[in-house]
Amino acid sequence: MSKKSNNSKTNKNINVSLTKCLTECENGEEVVVLRVNAGRNAKTRLANLGLVPGVKIKKTKNAPFKGPLEIIVKGSSLVIGRGLASKIIVECNGACLT
Amino acid sequence: MSCHSPKNKSKNELNFKDTINIALAGNPNVGKSVIFNQLTGLSQTIGNWPGKTVERMEGRLEFLGYHFNIVDLPGIYSLSTYSLEEIVSREFVISEEVDIIINVIDATNLERNLFFTFQLLELKVPMILAINQMDILRRRNIDLDFKELERIFKLPVLPVVAVHGTGVHQLLEEAIELVVHNRPHRHSREKRLIESKYHGRPRHHSRRKRSIESKHRGHHYYRVEHALKRIESKGTIKKSFTFPELNQITSFGKEVELKILSLIEKINNYEQIVSSCNYPSRFLAIKLLERDLEVIKIFTDNEEGKVIFELSQKYREELESIHGEDINTIISSEIYSNIKKIIDLVLRTKIKKSRERRTLADFFDHLTTHSIFGYLILIAIMFGIYFFTFSLGDFFAEIMDNIFVILSDVVYINYGADNNLVKIFWDGGVGGLVGAIGGVLVYVVPFFLIIEILQDSGYLPRAAFLMDRVMHSLGVHGKTIIPMILGFGCNVPACAGCRIMETEREKKVSVALTSLVPCAATMTVVLGLVGRYLGFYWVLILFLINFSVIFIVGRILNKTLPGQCTELIMEMHEYRVPNYSVIFKQTWVRTKEFVFKAMPIMLLLGIILEILLIFNALEPINVILSPITVLWLGLPAITGVFLIYGILRKELTLVLLSILASSLNVTLLELLTPIQMIIFSLVTMLYIPCFATVILIAKQTNWKYAIQISLLEIVLALFVGGIINFGSLIFISF
Repeated sequence: MSKKSNNSKTNKNINVSLTKCLTECENGEEVVVLRVNAGRNAKTRLANLGLVPGVKIKKTKNAPFKGPLEIIVKGSSLVIGRGLASKIIVECNGACLT
Repeated sequence: MSCHSPKNKSKNELNFKDTINIALAGNPNVGKSVIFNQLTGLSQTIGNWPGKTVERMEGRLEFLGYHFNIVDLPGIYSLSTYSLEEIVSREFVISEEVDIIINVIDATNLERNLFFTFQLLELKVPMILAINQMDILRRRNIDLDFKELERIFKLPVLPVVAVHGTGVHQLLEEAIELVVHNRPHRHSREKRLIESKYHGRPRHHSRRKRSIESKHRGHHYYRVEHALKRIESKGTIKKSFTFPELNQITSFGKEVELKILSLIEKINNYEQIVSSCNYPSRFLAIKLLERDLEVIKIFTDNEEGKVIFELSQKYREELESIHGEDINTIISSEIYSNIKKIIDLVLRTKIKKSRERRTLADFFDHLTTHSIFGYLILIAIMFGIYFFTFSLGDFFAEIMDNIFVILSDVVYINYGADNNLVKIFWDGGVGGLVGAIGGVLVYVVPFFLIIEILQDSGYLPRAAFLMDRVMHSLGVHGKTIIPMILGFGCNVPACAGCRIMETEREKKVSVALTSLVPCAATMTVVLGLVGRYLGFYWVLILFLINFSVIFIVGRILNKTLPGQCTELIMEMHEYRVPNYSVIFKQTWVRTKEFVFKAMPIMLLLGIILEILLIFNALEPINVILSPITVLWLGLPAITGVFLIYGILRKELTLVLLSILASSLNVTLLELLTPIQMIIFSLVTMLYIPCFATVILIAKQTNWKYAIQISLLEIVLALFVGGIINFGSLIFISF
């Protein structure tokens, strides 16, 4: 756990990049996955679909009424429930400054 | 499965019929079904894997003198033990029943698809890679280097355009080559020929296919070459096949690889595993690290295995602390980085990609997931399904009924209407059959058609996308909306559609909720009784009560069934024009299955009920049920039997009531008070689902659960009915 916060602190200081969860991203934003704070099953399923730390993904849309999100991973479109999406921590490369 | 009976075509031809068993494996939506349909056509059957609730699609064909048994495995993303489909698939592939795997890969999604390929490679089963959707890749001006792919994988890699039929039969030729030569063969002249042929869209692809086939039928190469080799199937193809050495691509990073090699060494020394288990050692080593439950079971059976298991866990913990990640994530990352190296070598974009062109598919995608239009379209589709059923089904049902009445007159004139035998066989037997066809099948067939169209075109994930939030408040997975929407037409195929749920728990919940959705037959009763005599507003109120019950049942099941509701993770592929050949074939196959499995039971029930009617055994039933019907629900005693009939077909409750009314020369309003109408309709809506649905629930889960759900629904129906009855009595007395 402490490893994670160390990483994000270092990142913030050196790379001027923003760490946030997937649900906070804008539509059309391209980000890099840092880690997935979900249970083992969900993590494995996401990993099988290509969503692993270090991979570039692009968030495309949001379902209305706080529903699921759609992202593009490795060239294919995935829909992820909001609860799970909020556990995916991503990093955007300085292009977004909210 | 493997038949060794030689067929003598002519005296001059040699007997060389042999059987090759093929499994089609790949991600969902890659075109496996299209290939499967092209190869097996109408010989397809749907069954179940023994003892499991996963569907098994099998088919046969004969080609170039060989019998092929082809099994279409469910579309899966990996070979873990997350879902029953994955477990069933990997056990099947490694068993004696499979000689060759054809891994169908979507060319437009190569990276993700290759992940599954890598999982399959670990099983070390003879494999052919079929790269499908090459036409779309060409259209995007991307080039795929097949020679390089073959060099890397050392296995046959073939281009396919399944929707055009190109390259499909070449897969079988390749399979024959593998069988005969016992090793992957070199890039043949014929293959290069085929590669150049899929440019552009052939106009008459069926003609092309036939011409390719006829070219081979006359081709003596196979007949002469293979004539003297009689191959015994059942695992020997696998055993005599030298699986290529693929360490270059499948090796992981040093830390992980060293641990795997150490485990492999220990496993190879473990006599029991080597002799009894079909899985390769490397596969077992990796799965042990990943804490795969099924593999762990193999090892923890005895002391020696436990030692290896504990070592694997020690390694796992070391790796997890080094990388700071879950072992599954580590291994998946390693595989994906190996894949990336391959992609860089084989994929080449010819022209620099300009601004992404918006396609029609994109447009529909935005429309159907739009905050406003999306929901409107969803509701429109729901109504559309209902009206499609109601009109098409009714149309054919009426025709059937008319024919039956005309024929009945003929039978009665010749044999007498009061003859007991006539009653049993004609009214009960044939009548039951007509009832099953006219009452259920004519509704069910348009359904299977609609399900296939919705599924193939790609709409269903969009519906789940829109409704996931609502479904979560029901305590259910987002995908459940799909069978529930279909349930508006007919519960039978809708419950069959619950097979798309990934876990047993989700399946159980969806099947229960779907069976509570008012189908077209139920709606007939509600509209015909409450709608006609009490007005539209009461119909809406009944609907509201029905949905509240669905909500409550969802909550109950959520609390009582073990396990957590899984988060929605779903692939949403592009919209595409449904492949009509596949749709019609699939619909036909499912109809066949329904006719042979569910209908005989319904027929039997019809005959039994008719017999009971003859011997006036029904009056006692009314008497037995009267504490429930009269005292509790406040309905006239005669409705007891009608509700029993309703188990066979829901609309029978109203049909019989109407018949009674007309025989007594009264209107329905005189037979039932308004309150009684409401109670009667509600009970019909909520109590046990129609028998065909119950059978399907049992197929998807098991009989115990089907009975439990039926009882739950009966109890709920009686509860709601009773409340209204007593509530109204109290209300009136004020």
